[in-house]
Amino acid sequence: MGIRKYAMLGALALATVSSFCIPAQAEDVTITVWSLDRDIQPAPNLIADYNKLNTGIKVEYRQIQFDDVVSEAMRAFSTGQAPDIIAVDNPEHALFASRNAFLDLTDMIAKSEVVKTANYFPGPLASTMWDGKNYGIPKATNTIALYYNKDMFKAKGLDPEKPPQTWTELVDAARKLTDPAANVYGLTFSAKANEEGTFQFLPWAQMAGASYENINAEGAVKALDTWKTILEEKLASPDTLTRSQWDSTGTFNSGNAAMAISGPWELDRMVAEAKFDWGVTLLPVPEQGAERSSAMGDFNWAIFANTDHPEEAFKVLEYFVSQDNRMFKDFGQLPARLDIAIPETGEPKKDAALKVFVEQLKYAKPRGPHPEWPKISKAIQDAIQASLTGQMTSQEALDQAAAKIKAVLD
Amino acid sequence: MKRVLSSITDGRGFDIALVALPLAFLLLLSGLPLLYNVLMSFQEVDMFSLGTLWRPFVGFENYRKLFEQPETLPILGNTAIFVTASIAGQFLIGFGLALFFWTNFPGASWLRGLFLVSWVMPGLVVGAIWNWILSGDFGVLNFLLRESGLISGNIFWRSDPNYSLWAVVIANVWLGTSFNMILLSVGLSAIPGDLYEAAELDGANAWQRFWTITLPMMRSSIGALIALGLIFTLQQFDLFAAITSGGPNNSSNVTQYWAWDMSFRQYDFAKGATISVIMIVFVMLASIVYVRSTRHEVRG
Amino acid sequence: MSDTYREKLMLAIALVLAAIYLFPLYWMYITALKSGSAMFATPPAFWPTDPQWQIYGQVWESRNMGRYIWNSVVIALGAVTVITVLGVGCAYVLARYRNVWVDIGLFLILMLQVLPASLMITPIFVGFSQVGLLEYPRLAVILAIAAKSMPFFVVLVRATFMSVPQELEEAALVDGNSRIGAFFSIVLPLARNGILVSAILIFMQAFGEFVYSKSIIQAIELQPASVGLNSFMGPNTNEWNNIMAYATIYVTPILAIFVLLQRRIVSGLTSGALK
Repeated sequence: MGIRKYAMLGALALATVSSFCIPAQAEDVTITVWSLDRDIQPAPNLIADYNKLNTGIKVEYRQIQFDDVVSEAMRAFSTGQAPDIIAVDNPEHALFASRNAFLDLTDMIAKSEVVKTANYFPGPLASTMWDGKNYGIPKATNTIALYYNKDMFKAKGLDPEKPPQTWTELVDAARKLTDPAANVYGLTFSAKANEEGTFQFLPWAQMAGASYENINAEGAVKALDTWKTILEEKLASPDTLTRSQWDSTGTFNSGNAAMAISGPWELDRMVAEAKFDWGVTLLPVPEQGAERSSAMGDFNWAIFANTDHPEEAFKVLEYFVSQDNRMFKDFGQLPARLDIAIPETGEPKKDAALKVFVEQLKYAKPRGPHPEWPKISKAIQDAIQASLTGQMTSQEALDQAAAKIKAVLD
Repeated sequence: MKRVLSSITDGRGFDIALVALPLAFLLLLSGLPLLYNVLMSFQEVDMFSLGTLWRPFVGFENYRKLFEQPETLPILGNTAIFVTASIAGQFLIGFGLALFFWTNFPGASWLRGLFLVSWVMPGLVVGAIWNWILSGDFGVLNFLLRESGLISGNIFWRSDPNYSLWAVVIANVWLGTSFNMILLSVGLSAIPGDLYEAAELDGANAWQRFWTITLPMMRSSIGALIALGLIFTLQQFDLFAAITSGGPNNSSNVTQYWAWDMSFRQYDFAKGATISVIMIVFVMLASIVYVRSTRHEVRG
Repeated sequence: MSDTYREKLMLAIALVLAAIYLFPLYWMYITALKSGSAMFATPPAFWPTDPQWQIYGQVWESRNMGRYIWNSVVIALGAVTVITVLGVGCAYVLARYRNVWVDIGLFLILMLQVLPASLMITPIFVGFSQVGLLEYPRLAVILAIAAKSMPFFVVLVRATFMSVPQELEEAALVDGNSRIGAFFSIVLPLARNGILVSAILIFMQAFGEFVYSKSIIQAIELQPASVGLNSFMGPNTNEWNNIMAYATIYVTPILAIFVLLQRRIVSGLTSGALK
């Protein structure tokens, strides 16, 4: 008995000594994080800061390309090489959550001191939910609104302080602003046959009372007809059909379009390169007083279900969340948080624009969430393109999309 | 044992070893992945069952569903147009250039080397540049056509369903011309000059010399080039992604882009694999034609 | 028409053709110098009004391009070595005989490279992860590229061997050479130029390989330049001017080297190295 007691004490002493002598490294838990952020963006910087805290959790980072996030993640997951934490684009969150590839965080969030669901904008939060449970935490958010060139408004006799508020006003303004002789289109946006097209179109449909579940409703047809008018009258470039939002807004910056529909990611380039006075306003609505809506972009954090260290991974996420107030100041991204105000940047045009975007965020709706979102989105893109190239009427195109979506939903 | 060894150093075994090793390597690294795709086309595939081979079999269900889709036949047609037009364009322009530089004036070899630029430029960059060149509003091609008075209004190369496929063909011909030219140059320079001298003495004109000497002597080069051109054209992906994304409304979609879109945009891996099997069947037919054409090769 | 006049005319035509053909290269160079929005201006500017020369330094620094380019060189050299070692012999045999087995071999080799890399990567990734090759990512990429490009090499080099007169090899055998001896001392030297051209083409292709590298090589320290190039593409942003500057830095040296090399190779051929 005695010997055993001494032996135990000895072992305990040894353990204590060794834990003092060898700093935490030996027992460090390693958490791997994948995201698309590069050197000047949040993830790698937050991770570097976190590793300096020496919490006994060591975080390793891998940057993946935007286009490959899902395919890389699926490949890694199905061969058992998934990271612990990943940042995934919000419409693709449900794809993983619905299959329990992501960890259910509901209980951990309920107990957490740091992560509180009430602090988040409803749109981004909804995109992390599946079946009433939390499968992730919004990382950042963005939305789209209408940029307009104030100098061109003045030149064409429009009031630069009264940008268009309804679809009719938007089309009228575009007609007045379009000037083929000067190589100026009234409006630029993107109807590209990829997720960007859906991202731009859905808000229009939603404002008019439709949704992806009833995409052939009257409002959606009206929205698509409005787009069709804009393209048929050449108020926007025909290349709208194949051009991304970034490249389209490039033509706004270079003075070849008077208005542009795009998001806050454009702000820095515009401040640096647009040689004219510009402003931002909320997306025009179908008619005065109609319900507002907007698109919602950006990524969510999630923990893979097959992680060996769920507790530690969640601690890392808690750290990320605790740093949300640096999100805009240090990295220029909008946190998905209601309780964090965007600090002034000192650049008046940018500050005014950010106010509009924060307001617009309140109306932002997630795409889905649905595990087969890409197929739903594809049906919508096909309809947009079929109608805008004149191969179908808007009604026919959207009826076809509705049939395809119904097949997915059932 | 000794006989095997001596046959390897000095007989048939030598030839067999030289072929067997690379073939084994290829079967392992290309053959198995190919079979994996064929297998998937008969299965129900789920993004999370990518790591295993045992998935529920569905017979020809994927094929049936694929051919029910209205876009399938137009996309197959686009692929045929794209492949034929690209190969024809690349080959004719490449051959023309190779013959032109063959005349060997001062500076010819320097300039010929510069043409290889299309071979070194990364796909992403080539795509982006052609995207700009072919743009309707600020595109350089329209600018030049307009300035030279060939067109009055802009052609929306990328966004007009009548032109979008040809926009990619133009870019792809540019991309493949250099490779055709350089290989045809090598082939041309291997033709013994005395053949031409003899023909000239016999009174054959330039045109006759081309048909009776150049073409037959180039037969194996041309066969190889067209076979490879077919494969490169079928693998062309970056240009579609950069210029049209297969749009508008699938008017410029081709099988290779479509298969990728199915697999990695809509995560329908089984359909993606099914499309790739259709591609394999087409290339199989073309390969048989190539292999048969080598039967008539002239060995120098 | 005198010879010098004709030569001058040919040169002039050649310059015009080259200028047309090289236009996309020129566009890459000047787009790098334009500001992010100026490249979307109508009408297009053929010379940037406000050239941003500092961009090259910025891009080189911010992306640590030296390391990327080194990795590209390692991968490309590795792939060319594997392909040349395995491919030359294969091509030689396929050129030497004319029977049904050769037909089958050629057919297989062509068939095996039909699918684009984007469709091959999933099975290759799964396979490599099973055998543990992912632990050696650059080797894994070298093998994958070798498998993808070898058919191209074999078909080209086979065409070269076809132009080596078979009597020469037979004469060497009669003189008492072994097969190996005849292969190395007679056939190989005669096919040298074709092999070199093909190897250089393979090198350039491997240098820019992208799909396999980005999926297989996860550590940024080991990634090649082509993967680094894509880090300028964001979800909503594409920094085209940086992409073009980056591409300029990595394309120009290879192009220069090739122009020098091919002059020797192709013109060496015409001037009678092989008759």
